[in-house]
Amino acid sequence: MNHTPDPTTAGNGGYFDPREAAALLDQTTQQARRQLQPSPPWLLVIRAVMVLAACGGIWLSVRGQHPYRGPTTADIPILVAFIVINFAATVAVRKRATAGVLGRSQLRPAEIAVAALAWVAAAVLLAALAASGVSYGHYATTVLIIPGLAWAAITAARAWWRSCAVGLAVAIVGVVGLFAGPAGSWAVAGIGLCLVLLGYAAAVTRQQRA
Amino acid sequence: MADDTLNPVIHVPTRLKIVATLAALPDGDALSFTRLQDMIGLTPGNLIIHLRRLEEAGYISSEKTKNGTTPKTTVALTKSGREALDAYTQALRDLLGGL
Repeated sequence: MNHTPDPTTAGNGGYFDPREAAALLDQTTQQARRQLQPSPPWLLVIRAVMVLAACGGIWLSVRGQHPYRGPTTADIPILVAFIVINFAATVAVRKRATAGVLGRSQLRPAEIAVAALAWVAAAVLLAALAASGVSYGHYATTVLIIPGLAWAAITAARAWWRSCAVGLAVAIVGVVGLFAGPAGSWAVAGIGLCLVLLGYAAAVTRQQRA
Repeated sequence: MADDTLNPVIHVPTRLKIVATLAALPDGDALSFTRLQDMIGLTPGNLIIHLRRLEEAGYISSEKTKNGTTPKTTVALTKSGREALDAYTQALRDLLGGL
């Protein structure tokens, strides 16, 4: 039988040292996982620190309020800036990581719509509660419950269990905040969301190293 | 030599990089040709040659879609390709463990 050499092995005489192959396989795998990761650990850690600083800062400024009046006019731009920067950075990094990726791991338009509507519903509910004089309408963490549960439901339907756990954890932070009082809910939001993000970063890191 | 137990389709630097990169995608996902080219750092012509070899072996599948007027090619690792990579990785471990 004639053996026709594979022209695509040309390069260094066709010999590829197994040790080099092992190193290349390891390096390529790690690199690809990093480049394709939509929620890299470094971004999650930065977001964790940012949420702790933003919510913690607001807690420090409102904890002495009797009666509770909410974030001051100086706090609101900081909160808005945090939300905008967090959202923009998350979207930009995700977009770069998922560029050219198609398939089951991508969110469907309907899922994105449900996730977005959950935030709208939460804001409407918060406003309605506040307008009716229900104190939970002034709690920072109340707004986390519906989006957290919505995300958990969306991701559970896809069997994305790690993301589902994150959604549930966010909803739990929302519920825990209901017991902390209006000022204390800012501290619960800061610490709770920081821990959720750090936990997610640890899980992603472990998966990348596996 | 003992290293002729290594799968000759995968045991080529460029094809090893291609297969390892596609294996980093979740099951059911595909990568566009352009993104794969960007990640591997090859010219289009060179990449096509190696993709054809992998496709002939049944390790990858490619699909051409039309995004408006722009044709787009996506590439994914097949089940057979994942199994071949797993077997190759194990063979590499066995070989290097014995060295």
